[in-house]
Amino acid sequence: MEMIRLENLSVALGQFHLRNINLAVEKGEYVCIIGPTGAGKTVLIETIAGFHKPYKGRIILDGDDITSKPPEKRGISIVYQDYMLFPHMTVYENIAYGAKKKIRDKRILEEEIERIAHIMGISHLLNRKPETLSGGEQQRVAIARAIISKPKLLLMDEPFSALDTRTTEKLRDFVKRVATEYDLTIIHVTHDIVDVWSLADKVAIMNNGTIIQYGEVEEVFSKPADDFVAEFIDINILEGEITEVLGEMVLVKVGDTILRVKTNTTTGHRIRIFIRPEDIYISNTPPDYGPGCFRAVVEKILENGPYVQLFLSRNNIVLKAVLTRGYVRCLGLARGKHVYVYIRPENVRVAET
Amino acid sequence: MAFLKFSTLCIIIALMVSLILFSAFIALLVMITPTDFIRSLETKEMQYSLRLTITTSLTATFLAIIIGIPVAYALARKEFPGKNLVKTILDLPMAMPEIVLGITLLLLFGHTPLAQLLSMIGIKIVFSPLGIVVAQFFSALPYTLRILSSSYETINPRYELVSRSLGYGELETFVRITLPLSKAGLIASTAVAFARSVGAFGAVLILAGGIYMVTETLPITLYLNISYGNLSMAVSAGILLIIASFITIFIIEKMGGGKLWR
Ligand SMILES: Nc1ncnc2c1ncn2[C@@H]1O[C@H](COP(=O)(O)OP(=O)(O)O)[C@@H](O)[C@H]1O
Ligand SMILES: [Mg+2]
Repeated sequence: MEMIRLENLSVALGQFHLRNINLAVEKGEYVCIIGPTGAGKTVLIETIAGFHKPYKGRIILDGDDITSKPPEKRGISIVYQDYMLFPHMTVYENIAYGAKKKIRDKRILEEEIERIAHIMGISHLLNRKPETLSGGEQQRVAIARAIISKPKLLLMDEPFSALDTRTTEKLRDFVKRVATEYDLTIIHVTHDIVDVWSLADKVAIMNNGTIIQYGEVEEVFSKPADDFVAEFIDINILEGEITEVLGEMVLVKVGDTILRVKTNTTTGHRIRIFIRPEDIYISNTPPDYGPGCFRAVVEKILENGPYVQLFLSRNNIVLKAVLTRGYVRCLGLARGKHVYVYIRPENVRVAET
Repeated sequence: MAFLKFSTLCIIIALMVSLILFSAFIALLVMITPTDFIRSLETKEMQYSLRLTITTSLTATFLAIIIGIPVAYALARKEFPGKNLVKTILDLPMAMPEIVLGITLLLLFGHTPLAQLLSMIGIKIVFSPLGIVVAQFFSALPYTLRILSSSYETINPRYELVSRSLGYGELETFVRITLPLSKAGLIASTAVAFARSVGAFGAVLILAGGIYMVTETLPITLYLNISYGNLSMAVSAGILLIIASFITIFIIEKMGGGKLWR
């Protein structure tokens, strides 16, 4: 069942335009919207919440056209990056504020607050003022306040952006749990690709006020619609020519390198292939895999926390790979070192152009 | 090159100016004996003036706040055609001499169709206590608007958006969220409005006439008694006005001093 559908939604705010947004989210689905700063992500979800008026298009929520309904009549909750807990109310009062319009019975209200506080792990904080809470605690309260009245749709605008990595990981677990317990439909704006991987069923990539690509996470991440998306999700794009068909496998010539690719494109045309950085295997000795394995030079090593980004080059091709720090040390990788690169055929995606 | 350090110089100037001003207050206080002061307070005129000042000022303050809240909210939060013009017009009484405000009000309520309409339904503003309230109201309003709208501007509008999304309408959101969050600004603007009303002179004199024991507020008492040469009454009125100012400053400091919500 479809919970929300945006049809050609267009919004103008000063110089900024949101153009022809189309998006459909099924009931219970978790959708992430990702894109660079200024893409219009906040404007988009605030339009869904009813804070900006679109000049074109419709918003259909649970079968109702809510395009011209005020925010308070929509049944859509919103969670912001900076929590927006009411400073003049306690944690309990904040959560109760979210429920009062739906739950009139005082005893049921208390039970519901107890339940959500338990799930979000904030039972011990109920009598505190928001300003005395840590960022992670405040955000859990904000989420509790947003969902206690069981909204049809939960919007979150970069909810983890003000939190450190540890806290973010913990919060992802809370969000996952509550999403199932309350059967939530969620649109979550983020700039962190990890959110997409760990939470979302579907992902929409936004840039310049439009949605460039929308689909299942696996699909979008393995077959980016254009160079912007590829760049943004950090995937390798290569162009090559199919030289030989071997059953359900083909050989693709990229420059002077031969890759094995699993696809049913059988023509001798040029194709674009995509390889995720984490799908590139590296070793010091030649693995006995035949074609699909080649030698390359380590061009650059970028340390990135626990992971290391490796730039490998072979003639005109540059490939980005991601390895753990320990593995890099174990292989003794350094700039200028020659290594063997292997890519499994099923990890190479093909765009049929 | 042993010049006085600039910061030291600033401090010295500050101390000197406040010393001069403080001496002036002291001069006023020692001008009359406590007995004279008490005796002045006990006169019929002073009692009338004090009572009238308090009632008119409270009324004018109440009106300035009740009307100031929605106007300030509109100015702080909403965009509408002619907003800048409205802002300028409402600020005008702050920049213009009080006496000019008085004459414009006198003309408006004395010589226009509006004046005729009001007199037809029995409302007399010119040379009446009601005129005092009107003059005080317009003297206080710009200050009320300034403080209130800046206190609304400091509240992140997303508090209101969150409240709306949780099912509360615009008015309910204003009452339950915006108003409590702007409490400090509300108290400060009330104090300022009251102080402006109590001290309003030029506009009150022109519009309400400054009539002995009819439209006589404390500043008028001071003015009338100075012209009769009755120093003790004039100084007593001055002392009462200073007390009112001190209380106002105290309240504003208390409210403005970091207690405004983000
Ligand atoms: N109320 C507004 N008036 C005019 N321009 C706005 C307004 N709100 C946002 N914008 C502009 O819209 C663009 C998109 O903003 P936003 O949706 O916040 O981007 P992001 O994708 O980073 O969330 C920005 O260029 C911003 O300056
Ligand atoms: Mg944003």
